Amino acid sequence: MNAADQRPSPDMRVRLGTLELRNPVMTASGTFGSGREFSDFVDLERLGAVVTKGVSMEPWPGNDSPRIAETASGMLNSIGLQNPGVERFVERDLAWLRTLDVPVVVNVSGHSTGEYARVIERIEQAGGADAYEVNISCPNVDAGGMVFGTACGPASEVTRSCRAATQRPLIVKLSPNVTDVVEIAKAVASEGADAVALINTLLGMAIDAESRRPKLARVVGGLSGPAIKPIALRMVWQVAAALDIPVVGMGGITTAEDAVEFMLAGASGVAIGTANFVDPTTTLRVIDGLTTWCRERDVARVADLIGALET
Amino acid sequence: MTGEAHTHPRSHPPVLESTPVVVNDRVAEGIGLLVLDAPLVATHVQPGQFVHLRVAEGTDFILRRPFSVHRVVGGRIEILYQVLGRGTRQMSELEQGDVIDVVGPLGNGWTLPDDASHALLVAGGLGAAPLGMWAERLAERGVAVSVAQGAPYSERLVARELFERVARRVEIATDDGSAGERGFVTGPAERLIRSGEVEVVFACGPERMQQAVANLAAAAGIPCQVSLERLMACGIGACLSCVVSTTEGLKRACVDGPVFDASTIKWESSEVPPKH
Repeated sequence: MNAADQRPSPDMRVRLGTLELRNPVMTASGTFGSGREFSDFVDLERLGAVVTKGVSMEPWPGNDSPRIAETASGMLNSIGLQNPGVERFVERDLAWLRTLDVPVVVNVSGHSTGEYARVIERIEQAGGADAYEVNISCPNVDAGGMVFGTACGPASEVTRSCRAATQRPLIVKLSPNVTDVVEIAKAVASEGADAVALINTLLGMAIDAESRRPKLARVVGGLSGPAIKPIALRMVWQVAAALDIPVVGMGGITTAEDAVEFMLAGASGVAIGTANFVDPTTTLRVIDGLTTWCRERDVARVADLIGALET
Repeated sequence: MTGEAHTHPRSHPPVLESTPVVVNDRVAEGIGLLVLDAPLVATHVQPGQFVHLRVAEGTDFILRRPFSVHRVVGGRIEILYQVLGRGTRQMSELEQGDVIDVVGPLGNGWTLPDDASHALLVAGGLGAAPLGMWAERLAERGVAVSVAQGAPYSERLVARELFERVARRVEIATDDGSAGERGFVTGPAERLIRSGEVEVVFACGPERMQQAVANLAAAAGIPCQVSLERLMACGIGACLSCVVSTTEGLKRACVDGPVFDASTIKWESSEVPPKH
């Protein structure tokens, strides 16, 4: 055992409103299924929270294939929120997740303002989740998703409607595909969001020069992975500075050091997304690395890192 | 096909294994054979299952690449790959002693219908890869094996020796006629299916070839399984990148396949070949 290991373990707990997490490391919606898919590799009860794949009222078929394309230091996806609908989600995924000792954040999608609230109401009837993440930022659907997240009016409206549907913590997931992310963040905060999560993917495209065809069937898709980290850090920093509510930061996090950077920028929680595909144990690696990072630098509480950027 | 043949009991859960490269040889123009020392995966992998390889680590972000296991020899797994894009180019540069990590075994492999005693394997190009271990397994189980194999030219007939060793009969087609008959593998496949001798067909290769073989098998009233290739990110059922249209809705190639009962597949009209 080296000297560092003998120092006291840091307090890894963080809070998102009334939701207490045992550590800041969450999963990014859509990259982790319902959690079950990763359970051969990850003890889910070690995570700060499991954030599920987006769920809508009715089943959604998603987009045509190909749905992904690898790009420089990242990837594009245009899955299109394929999901089996809230009934199947409640009976199969939520029921299973509830057997575990881990906070469950259900990511909620809708084609209309009303649909978001109805999904939450249905889950509340079934006993509820620990928190809801409202997805107003998916770039891969024509109706719903990002349509609600790129202007203050619709973003406020969806948040208000969801707020009326539950007392539980409400996290609104923001799109980076906007002129001013701070103004959207303020709009959802003023409607009662308990936290914001950012960033969702950046709208992009990839082309195969030889075939002169787009690499994605839907032509455009959402860019994720290390390529977007600098943009995500900048947006987290801007939003955290402007808002009084907690921020969940994500975008290209692959290592514990990435997570530290997001927390310094102002994130109270962090989410691992695309990195789960490359190494299914990334979440655990980041939790362990973050703990070690704090211990080695005598950071007593990981929460002390939140917004501790020195400028 | 019997009901049992449709249901795949869950095989051994996948593991994450660090595997040293034992051999990485060029076996034909643009085709490599990677042999990994992977005792855990080797113990549990079933014919037709695949592994997800992290072909490069550290310097740059790169998704894992899925490859079916061609053969298992002792604690080693053999992977045949074609150099087509960034990931497979990285693979071709791996050297003996390099360590890469492997997730596997993944997916559902081939299933032998209970009463089948004579199987036809149809291999188009690198489609021979997932059929190598299956041919060996069938022969061990006393099932008669016929093979129809096709490739652009004779050097590209990967695993031909393996097929010739275990199969009762191997019929070859090449695009240029440098081995066997000139033409597509569907030629010999059609004759073998129509011979009335084979009771089940297992096919892997270009999707249009698989579709053609599936149609021939269906016309002859013979069950057929195909192994489909899709671009894949997670490989464990979470990301929904690799979906396949079936009569039972969208299925994931990674966990519901890659082997499917061909009669359930809704073939896509315009195939965009994966290049990864």
